[in-house]
Amino acid sequence: MIKFINVSKRYNKDIIALSNISFEIENGEFVFIVGPSGAGKSTLIKLLLKEEEPTSGSIVINKKDITKLKKREIPYLRRSMGVVFQDFRLLPNKTVFENVAFAMEIVGAHPKEIRRKVPMVLSLVGLSDKAEKYPRQLSGGEQQRVSLARAIVNEPSILIADEPTGNLDPDTSWEIVKLISEINKRGTTVVMATHAKDIVDAMKKRVIALEKGNIVRDEARGVYGYAL
Amino acid sequence: MKQGVFMDMLFRNLKYFLKEGFSNLSRNRLMTIASITSVMAAMLILGLFLVIILNVNSLTNQVESQLELKAFLKDNISEQEVSQIGNEIKAIPGVTSVVFESKEEALQKFKQQLGDKSYLAEGLEEDNPLPQSYIVKVKDAGLMKDISNEIKQINGVDKVSYGQDVVDKLLGIIKIVRIVGLSIILILFIISIVIISNTIKLGVFARRREINIMKYIGATDWFIRWPFLIEGVVLGLVGALLSVALLVLIYGYMLDIINNKLIVFQLLPLEKIVGDILLYFSLIGAIIGALGSGFSIKRFLNV
Repeated sequence: MIKFINVSKRYNKDIIALSNISFEIENGEFVFIVGPSGAGKSTLIKLLLKEEEPTSGSIVINKKDITKLKKREIPYLRRSMGVVFQDFRLLPNKTVFENVAFAMEIVGAHPKEIRRKVPMVLSLVGLSDKAEKYPRQLSGGEQQRVSLARAIVNEPSILIADEPTGNLDPDTSWEIVKLISEINKRGTTVVMATHAKDIVDAMKKRVIALEKGNIVRDEARGVYGYAL
Repeated sequence: MKQGVFMDMLFRNLKYFLKEGFSNLSRNRLMTIASITSVMAAMLILGLFLVIILNVNSLTNQVESQLELKAFLKDNISEQEVSQIGNEIKAIPGVTSVVFESKEEALQKFKQQLGDKSYLAEGLEEDNPLPQSYIVKVKDAGLMKDISNEIKQINGVDKVSYGQDVVDKLLGIIKIVRIVGLSIILILFIISIVIISNTIKLGVFARRREINIMKYIGATDWFIRWPFLIEGVVLGLVGALLSVALLVLIYGYMLDIINNKLIVFQLLPLEKIVGDILLYFSLIGAIIGALGSGFSIKRFLNV
């Protein structure tokens, strides 16, 4: 469960990125965060990952107020969430297999467990035959699938996707969204910030729309709603 | 408890850290070679100065061990008094050896010094004007003045002499050489640390994206740090060992030239310094590498 309570974020005192926003996301929900550039989507994601601190208010994730976490506890918070970025953020010197295995090595998983689990996740995202390839040898869509595999290999309760289709063509974007939807059906909460109008409109999931740091819309089966 | 968790992580992931540290080295081969070369260059210069200092120290010891002072005794004292004085001199702290020289021996020596003009001393045997004396060696040239003053106080001692001027001058020169040498070593040591930490910083900077990604998927700071630490230590160590190897070559060459041409002063033999230098350089190299990588990565962990 994710809960924002009266959260504000200001940069340099006069730039307001988020202004006193509150919302709740239940376990297993699929939520789109939409809005024009500069509306506060990125800030919201950064706050979730505790990359930045809110100026005021509190953020509760899985019953823990993360604004009160100590610096050395941050890694453990991030392990409870899988993250996918627009630019994939794969390690260029590691193969597909190693990139996914890396997320498990970090949490100290047993090598046996790693050898069992990584092929499973790779087959789930449809990349079994690319395990020994390096990221640069893959297409954008394939790279994003690797990054999805890495995000879910430790079975986090929450998947955060920051513009996951921003660098992909429409067809590939759909493949990724279907995968994310698949992951959601298995019980993972999904928070996806996006610009992709078609996808939001077609999926008919909950939409939280931001504008100038305020929530202007929060609909259970929403649409993108901007003429972009 | 924190310590326990820390060690636990180290051992659980040791294989990963080692593998990662070494593969970083081989993946960034050019950087690795650059780092090792600069460590080697800095430590080679450091080593050359160290070798000079070691040799100056050994020269100082040689000179100091050759310094002696002479206590001349009065003529009109009994044999018992003579040995009494010898015992009193021996009892002074810092005195390492005391050798008696009779009037006859003194004359003998004098004649030897005269060489082919020894006829000048002929006829002196009957009424030998040379005094009997004690030749005293002391532990440390710096003690000469004090000890000579003490010996002067003893009854029956006529006069004490040591080459005051020469000794004082020599001590002054040695002191200056040591101070200058040590400051140069200190400066070079600091320069080496800066060079090494900068080189490692370049490597860390080149991989800042990687570090950033690791932070995002939940790696702890120590998990990120260990491979870099291992990498730094390996760089420092290899650079240090190479510099020792070069140093041995250069020093061996210097030994050949100097020990064959100079008779006054012998350089320390190779075996005598290699052990120490190897030990200290390995330690210094490893520490510099670890510190260097520790400093360089700090900034990139704040995500």
